[in-house]
Amino acid sequence: MLSNRILSCSDELLQDSKRTNDRPDGKGAVNRAGMDTLFLMGNEAIGYGAVRAGAGFACAYPGTPSTEILETAATLEGIRAEWCVNEKVALETAVGACRAGVRSIVSMKHVGLNVAADPLLTLTETGVNAGLVIVSADDPSMASSQNEQDSRNYARFAKIPMLEPSDSQEAYDFVAEAFALSEEFDTPVLLRSSTKLSHGRGQVLQRERVEPPQVEYVKDITKHLMVPQWARLRTRFMLERLVRLRERAEESPLNVIEPGTVDFGIITSGVAYQYVKEAFPDVWVLKLGMSWPHPWRKIAEFSGQVSRLAVVEELDPIIEETVRMLGLPVIGKAAIPADGELDQDMVCEALAPYLDAPAPERRQPVFPPAQRLRPPAQAEDLPVRLPVLCPGCRHRSVFTALKRQKLAAHGDIGCYMLGADPPLDALDSSLCMGASIGMMAGFNEALGRKASAAVIGDSTFFHSGITGLISAAYNEAEGLVLILDNRTTAMTGHQGNPGSGVRPDMTEGPSIDIQALCDGVNVRCTTIDAKDYGAIVEAIKTEVATPGLGVIVAEAPCALLVREKSGTVLVDDERCNLCGLCLAIGCPSIVPEEDTVRITDSCTGCGLCVEVCKRGALTLEPTPVTGGVR
Amino acid sequence: MSAAVSRPVTTVCLMGVGGQGILLAASVLSEAASADGLMVKASEIHGMAQRGGSVVSTVRFGERVHSPVSKRADYVLATELLEGHRGLRLLGDGGTLVCAVSTVIPPGSVLRREEQYPADLAAEAAARGVRIVAVDAEALAREAGTAKAVNVALLGAASAVLPFAASSWDAALERAVPAKIRAVNQRAFALGRGAVADEVTQAG
Repeated sequence: MLSNRILSCSDELLQDSKRTNDRPDGKGAVNRAGMDTLFLMGNEAIGYGAVRAGAGFACAYPGTPSTEILETAATLEGIRAEWCVNEKVALETAVGACRAGVRSIVSMKHVGLNVAADPLLTLTETGVNAGLVIVSADDPSMASSQNEQDSRNYARFAKIPMLEPSDSQEAYDFVAEAFALSEEFDTPVLLRSSTKLSHGRGQVLQRERVEPPQVEYVKDITKHLMVPQWARLRTRFMLERLVRLRERAEESPLNVIEPGTVDFGIITSGVAYQYVKEAFPDVWVLKLGMSWPHPWRKIAEFSGQVSRLAVVEELDPIIEETVRMLGLPVIGKAAIPADGELDQDMVCEALAPYLDAPAPERRQPVFPPAQRLRPPAQAEDLPVRLPVLCPGCRHRSVFTALKRQKLAAHGDIGCYMLGADPPLDALDSSLCMGASIGMMAGFNEALGRKASAAVIGDSTFFHSGITGLISAAYNEAEGLVLILDNRTTAMTGHQGNPGSGVRPDMTEGPSIDIQALCDGVNVRCTTIDAKDYGAIVEAIKTEVATPGLGVIVAEAPCALLVREKSGTVLVDDERCNLCGLCLAIGCPSIVPEEDTVRITDSCTGCGLCVEVCKRGALTLEPTPVTGGVR
Repeated sequence: MSAAVSRPVTTVCLMGVGGQGILLAASVLSEAASADGLMVKASEIHGMAQRGGSVVSTVRFGERVHSPVSKRADYVLATELLEGHRGLRLLGDGGTLVCAVSTVIPPGSVLRREEQYPADLAAEAAARGVRIVAVDAEALAREAGTAKAVNVALLGAASAVLPFAASSWDAALERAVPAKIRAVNQRAFALGRGAVADEVTQAG
């Protein structure tokens, strides 16, 4: 009926300090394993907790009250810690590191999570590889912030689990719980702090270091490359995962019912739990250490234990809404302020009038029925026709050349995702706009070598690739960034961007030079003509062999805008042995016949197939300039 | 125009390969229905539409139309043979498929011999009770001046079986087709309409 609370951290701590008190050096007690008991700020405890949990990579953008998490990690052994240029890049970099097989933790303040929301909301579909924990530190009362936000909304929004420690010891312990949950359920896990936890101090009993499981990186575009066809499947995975997570929340030792001696119950989470215990030591308490998704049955069971039920939570009525959804009467934001930090006096004053109020009529909980998912799509008996890189798209050369290297390739949003389709198979992942460079940096830093490249279009680079590049340069990440510059925002229908300088009314403004931009941030950069296949192969080979970070800008205008037939490819049927080299470039204009290939009318005469043919079976005959309609 | 009164909602799906001009064809069809005094709703796929994948646009018209989409169609206009096969699945008994049967664009999976390009559209259509209007739209488009006008040549063919006045189609071409390519498309439309009108006359 009642869950037994796992041995309380503070109880264990007391026992330990009795046994070994007062070391001469004054550093505090030593526990049985010979490790110091530390007096830590919540943020420091998270940093220590990350190292204890076997995390090998930490990154962040500073923001009060979250900053000391990374600063602490940076002082500890066994973890690489770095600042990124913003929270979005930080999350993307951590995603790269966890994909490479290293437990990674990324920290930020609540408003930083807004900046990181784009990768987060797709990361929940792809899942992780090694564990990934995202710490968001809320700042109710705005000690040092421009607004108040309740980060629990993001757990609900992204359909991922959230853990909420209530003191330094839990902050330390919950990090390992979060990593284990992340790997078991293949999900990023949010860890919510708030100012009073982050900047409050308490004793922390250190524990044995966790040896994380060895995780290898395996290419799987159905999981890591979120184009519509795969994302639809992952959405289903994510929704089913949420159901399993709710079951876990029912049984989790982090969700504890603490019996009381008066007929009044309070559900609470995070630092608010401490105010409740101080204000009302005798009431029943349901403490949600795993505060999303909510354990509906446990909440209903708890409600059944008491005549009167209250929820004490800082900021939004998130638990309260669940209790009301279950059809159970509850005292929530009608008594507890919806803004600012709480404290024990405020909680005491707010709930005192309800302690002796008549109990509401008892009601049976109403559990929501299981959600309906769309039935799995029936495989059609007709061939599927997926989008492909256009005939004559010269950026096909870059994918063809990149495939000759043994590199994982992080892709980005736009036309160039089409390089992932067979037979090119040239990309490993795509998360969100601008994510490729950060992911590449994290991936390579985790493995300590140039193990992956980033592939990004010009418009996407301007959107949010620049920040990733600057972050990678600042952190001296190894990497190769391929910017495929077609001078337009092609996939959406050829809109202007800062590279082309074209405005919505088709007037031309100034154009930003990517080469000059890279030069300006001191990143090695080579600009080449994407029509020169040999030069691309050479440039990529040189970059892969050169330590450090390098950019290759491959320039060629979008084939749909040029629409010129610059030549005709002729096939020498005698020489062609159908070896497949030209078919491997994935051009829809090349059709295999019985023992040779045929070039269709859609061919623009770009000549890439001629260059990859090793038997001289293909030749390009330039078209005389006529200016006619093709 | 009075023909609009009490006509039920008609659903036309335009299907083809990204880059074939399905959006333009849907736009002309919508304008024609509108010029005929009908309420029109349309649903289109953008973004990936020019990148060689399967593309569907739905146009629904009638006295009063609410939803812009439907899983069943009364007419399918397909600018490519495989997409015509796909379109058959939206049609029930009595439906009409207007298909550019000479236009064959094998998808990558067929080129790589992982899948088979389907055969015998006529037999499958007959089994489903679907009337086929087979058009060599590519030849007609070439005759008009550009192979790219397959979409509008096919629309011309469809105009012979769709219930709009000839003047509505003329107005639609005028409104929806950019001036630069209007003349060639008007020729393609006329050739398509003529080809089917002849056929219908002969059959009748």
